[in-house]
Amino acid sequence: MVGLSEGEKHFIRGGIAQDLRSDGRKRLQFRSISVETGVIPQANGSARVRLGATDVIASIKAELGKPSILRPDKGKVSIFVDCSPTAAPMFEGRGGEELSNDLSVALQRCLLGGTSGAGAGIDLSSLIIVDGKVCWDLYIDGLVISSDGNLLDALAAAIKVALSNTGIPKVSVLGASSDEQPDVDVSDEEFLQFDTSGVPVIVTLTKVGRHYIVDATSEEESQMSSAISVSVNRRGQICGLTKRGGAGLDPSVVLDMISVANSVSQQLITVLDSEIAAAEASEE
Amino acid sequence: MRDLQPSLNQTQRVRLQSALRQLHSLPSSSSSLLYSVAVAVAVAVADPIHVNHEDNILKGHGTLDCDGEVVATLCGVVERVNKLVYVHALQARYKPEVGDIIVGRVIEIAPKRWRLEINFSQVAVLMLSSMNLPDGIQRRRTAVDELNMRSIFEENDVICAEVRGFQHDGSLHLQARSQKYGKLERGQLLTVPAYLVKRRKKHFHHLEQYGVDLIIGCNGFIWVGEHVEAGENVGMLVEDQKKTSIAEEESGSFTPLETRKHICRIANAVRLLSALGFTLTVEAIVDTAEASLASNIEINDMLGAKLFVQTVEREVQRRASMVRKKG
Repeated sequence: MVGLSEGEKHFIRGGIAQDLRSDGRKRLQFRSISVETGVIPQANGSARVRLGATDVIASIKAELGKPSILRPDKGKVSIFVDCSPTAAPMFEGRGGEELSNDLSVALQRCLLGGTSGAGAGIDLSSLIIVDGKVCWDLYIDGLVISSDGNLLDALAAAIKVALSNTGIPKVSVLGASSDEQPDVDVSDEEFLQFDTSGVPVIVTLTKVGRHYIVDATSEEESQMSSAISVSVNRRGQICGLTKRGGAGLDPSVVLDMISVANSVSQQLITVLDSEIAAAEASEE
Repeated sequence: MRDLQPSLNQTQRVRLQSALRQLHSLPSSSSSLLYSVAVAVAVAVADPIHVNHEDNILKGHGTLDCDGEVVATLCGVVERVNKLVYVHALQARYKPEVGDIIVGRVIEIAPKRWRLEINFSQVAVLMLSSMNLPDGIQRRRTAVDELNMRSIFEENDVICAEVRGFQHDGSLHLQARSQKYGKLERGQLLTVPAYLVKRRKKHFHHLEQYGVDLIIGCNGFIWVGEHVEAGENVGMLVEDQKKTSIAEEESGSFTPLETRKHICRIANAVRLLSALGFTLTVEAIVDTAEASLASNIEINDMLGAKLFVQTVEREVQRRASMVRKKG
């Protein structure tokens, strides 16, 4: 990211204080979102989300696997994010590793709930085929192609759309031997669509000066003192919370930011749902 | 069209397609009109160029003699001037010429010079001796001046300067001696592809009706900011500036909202035109901004579908009227 001069930083801070950002948006306005589904035909589901100049792809692959011993009635999901060097020169080699880890952990926390699997946005019990023996392993991969701020929101939106695009093949269980792995027949034709009504979206509020903004560009992010990412589902319930940045926040400010994020997220969910519906309609 | 792909509805898509088709059929205001070539021949790398082998033609830039055939080494348009045949690349990095006005960002402070990033293959150099001192006196630069370089320009500052010449290794020498050059503050810097900015007589534009300074650098860096009188640019010491900026924030004296609205509108007009690939001239930028005002489009909606299609159609009308005037 190129540095900013003092004059430019002053201009950005002034814009946020006066509710008119560099591209004319208000503080709580998102950039225009464009969504494409099915960009990776070999994956079970995929989506590409563009948020201004930020460009991310999420892909979902499902493979047969064995459920963990502690949770025999739930499938497994793993989320991993990769920052491509085409997004920024600093991502070359191992430079993007720290950011990728941060994003992966934040997404896991928001979408998969606690370590016990409780409270996951994705229903893990729908992934089980034979209790204790066979389940679906979902591998969710995020790829950052172009980075202009607000990667977490874009990735969460891409994952939500990709899940709506995912088709898990229908499986019929043959032979039921008690100890060994049962034989399963994976259908090539029939697919089960994933139910994404419970999947939350993430809204990141960046605090600059005394005000918060939604959907910061990378220039605005360079001016932030702290940021809170709130994951909210359709019913307005908070599914996850992450705070970044070294500056401290008063508890009342945190509560205020959460309530602002809640109201903004409902608009975002509406926009994403209409995009998903449009994409499904264009497929048919 | 890059970067910007607004979601168009059906009527907008149809209008856009027909406008683009008309644009392709109309000749643009490029040199192809002057040379009265019937059709501009576009070539890609390794395409053969049709030449009459009897004349001894000169093979210029972007061509290669391959087994007796003249082959293009660049993607572009073939231009012929008398006996010279060359390929004019359409999209290329900034090609500097002496006297160009450019906007750059300081990336390094070296002994007696600043190094600027200007979207060129090499870093440009601004010597301390090519810069007016804050006190305005013409004198020899002493060691104390050299130590105080940071008080004139710091790292990451945005500077406007002029190309003075080339060094022996091809890197640029800049000079910023006049009052209108110097540090740029209170505004935003936009980056567009360098080939969209043509050389004109004036690159500094003070848009009076908006109170906005628009500096169109030949290297593709465009500065849109609050209007500053020439002479206030140079000579602001950094410590004073830091004190005033903290004081400004406390008293809330940021750029006034009306000026800020105009700055954002002009900046969005520049973004829109660069995404469409149209040449950036002051007239085009101001026209686009005024059209958006006339159609009551909100500033943040300027990058949306409505103004997108409108701008392409206006450009079609402009070129059609130009062709009618010439013919």
